[in-house]
Amino acid sequence: MTPALRLPFVPEPVFRQMAAMLVTLALWQLAAMGLAGRYMLAGPVEVVQHILQNYGLLSRALWVTFQNAAWGFVAGNLAAIGLALIVALVPQTRMLVAALALVVFCLPLVATGPILRVLYGPGPGPQITLAALAVYYTTFIPLLVGLRAAPASWFDLIRLYGRGAWTVFVQVRVMASLPYLLAGLQIAAPAAFLGAMVGEFTGADRGIGVLALRAMRGLDVEATWAIALIAAAVSMLAYGAIGRITRTKADTQPEMLMAVKPEPSAQLVSARVFRIVMLVALTAALVIALWWALMEIFALNRFFAKRPDDVWRYLVTAPTAQANRAVLWAATSASLEYLIPGYLAGLALGVAGALALTLAPALGSGVLPVAIALRSVPIVTTAPLIVLALGRGAAGTITIVAVMTFFPALVACLQGLRQTPGQVLDVMRLYATNPVTRLWYAQIPAMLPAFFAAARLSVPAAILAITVAEWLATGRGLGALMALTASTSDYNLLWSAIVVVTLGACIGYGLVSMVERAVLVRVAPEQLRN
Amino acid sequence: MASPAMTRTGPEIRCTDLAKNFGKGATLLEAVAPLSLSFAAGQMTALVGPSGCGKSTVLRMIAGLEQPSAGQILLGGQTPQDMQRQGALAMAFQDASLLPWRSVRGNVALARKLARLPGDTAAVEDIIARVGLSGFEDARPAELSGGMRQRVAIARCLITQPRVLLLDEPFGAVDELTRARLNLELPPLWQASGTTALMVTHSVREAVALADRVLVFSSRPARVVGDIAIPAEARSDTALQGALVEQVNAALAQGWSDHAAHAQPWAAQ
Repeated sequence: MTPALRLPFVPEPVFRQMAAMLVTLALWQLAAMGLAGRYMLAGPVEVVQHILQNYGLLSRALWVTFQNAAWGFVAGNLAAIGLALIVALVPQTRMLVAALALVVFCLPLVATGPILRVLYGPGPGPQITLAALAVYYTTFIPLLVGLRAAPASWFDLIRLYGRGAWTVFVQVRVMASLPYLLAGLQIAAPAAFLGAMVGEFTGADRGIGVLALRAMRGLDVEATWAIALIAAAVSMLAYGAIGRITRTKADTQPEMLMAVKPEPSAQLVSARVFRIVMLVALTAALVIALWWALMEIFALNRFFAKRPDDVWRYLVTAPTAQANRAVLWAATSASLEYLIPGYLAGLALGVAGALALTLAPALGSGVLPVAIALRSVPIVTTAPLIVLALGRGAAGTITIVAVMTFFPALVACLQGLRQTPGQVLDVMRLYATNPVTRLWYAQIPAMLPAFFAAARLSVPAAILAITVAEWLATGRGLGALMALTASTSDYNLLWSAIVVVTLGACIGYGLVSMVERAVLVRVAPEQLRN
Repeated sequence: MASPAMTRTGPEIRCTDLAKNFGKGATLLEAVAPLSLSFAAGQMTALVGPSGCGKSTVLRMIAGLEQPSAGQILLGGQTPQDMQRQGALAMAFQDASLLPWRSVRGNVALARKLARLPGDTAAVEDIIARVGLSGFEDARPAELSGGMRQRVAIARCLITQPRVLLLDEPFGAVDELTRARLNLELPPLWQASGTTALMVTHSVREAVALADRVLVFSSRPARVVGDIAIPAEARSDTALQGALVEQVNAALAQGWSDHAAHAQPWAAQ
């Protein structure tokens, strides 16, 4: 931008952003015109036209979805706060509650949606529940970190006067965790919108998700693009609005590590393995017990509300068990075929993007805010759009998964790179090291904890992305299987699929944690202690 | 300065065969090997010694923040936990450890609340003025300099009129000039008031200038290698102060060379 081009009264950054936006819009319109007739891309003119023509319908639908998302947001976050309170007051339950919360977070929304639909009947129940399920984990984990995020001397101060856990909780933990709670709420806002939309995909009669489904099925390109953009805009606005409240309420921005840091553990490997095995066994037992208890307490009809023994019979002891397992395995491997490349590609691109921006900072002025904003877009709601553009085959599906993992990885890596201590970089500059050396010895090790936190959380997100894509668009894999069994009332297979997906997500999460531990032990052992 | 007592009369402190281990098995760390110490009522004792010798751990055990692995601590016949419940202890840490969401006034007033004492607005204002922070009552810790934060931490200690005052390198994190000034201005607030005070410090000069007695520890496992009384006249006699500093330094060096010889037998040859 030459100075001559600058408008008076308009500050340069604003001017640049406006120029960039205009260029993007123009390119977009040109691309849309070039691709006209191929049912891929609607230009900004068509999108605006569609929104103006259907203003009443869209705004009514948006209001419905917004209300569902808001109720889910409240319910999910209250649940997260409740869980965190339990852990804060009874610290011994910490790992167990965290593990249970993870299992529930890994439940595939694509399958829980139809089951909730049967349970609730018509109405907003499933949308609200799914919105709540989509938000509670991302609030719970930072809150858990926040409740412990205080210097030891603050706790000493309280104990010095003979006061106990309750006083520590009231005087220190609640206030110390506030910035973490607000950070969690900010991430929760777009997630609630995503949950509500997925809930609407599962057979609601009103809402923006219903319109999205209808537009995609009808190959209505303008409507698909318009709705995806509206969903993206609302999510970004919600993210921005909560961020604004956060900044006025909290003076400190917490370091966002989306992980429960392990207790300073016993040094013996065998003791650690034993603890993990115990935790897994205890969690599994509790999940099965809770599953059973919920079904029995609410006396749910065994036809659609299967119990653990139904799934066991279906997959293990029934005469058709082997065939049943084969069906599930075929769907699982079909999903994994696209899931794994998409997941790895998203992570790799996120890391590569963050490193490129660090090596060439000129590229990246202003990329972080944009990336954070885009991270807030519930990618799944734009899945119809990507499928429209890239088709229903491997490319479209892999791209959806990759995009879902890319933005969290990019943001986490950029933030992680910034965690490099300035003095370390100064020491390196003192010896005139080149930027690549600095990356290798200082910045990448500093980045890794944040990267792994993102990689871990991306496992359930990637599974959500692929199952939604398979269900809405490609018709293969576990997503399609779950949708099909929901519509044909084959609840034995549906519940078995839920078990497989949840188990798979937890295993994936565990595998990433193992890799994380193995890597961090080598490059950043201090990160593993407390 | 004719002032109302900022503290209540302190007890004698007796530590008998005090020991503290951290970890277990292969990672066992013997932080404090059996050690018997006693501190006279109403005196201020400075504990000096090499880093990691366990002096802070001793202080934390007396505060009741760490449980001894063995041995006994009695403060005027009472356990640290008894003292805690009576609100009779106060401690200043190396960082000021103020709660960032509370104002200066709020941080000071909190200590009275924690110690189950009735609120006393006038006393809070008074102690804030005495530590030299008038006008900053409503400031948040983030708005204060390091030295000012330590002043708040001392005010927070004194607001409960503690019978035992424990100072764990309270001025260790501030610059030398600020430290000298804090050492001039703050100790008179509790000196000669009858409280029993213990201070861990790395500054021999500070120890000699402020304490009635300096206890010198060797490297871990700590033994007492020097027990030096500081006569009252040393406060005004700089030559005497210099001599006492030399004496403490000599004890420190002795503890250090003993340790080196112990760790590296060949070094003694």
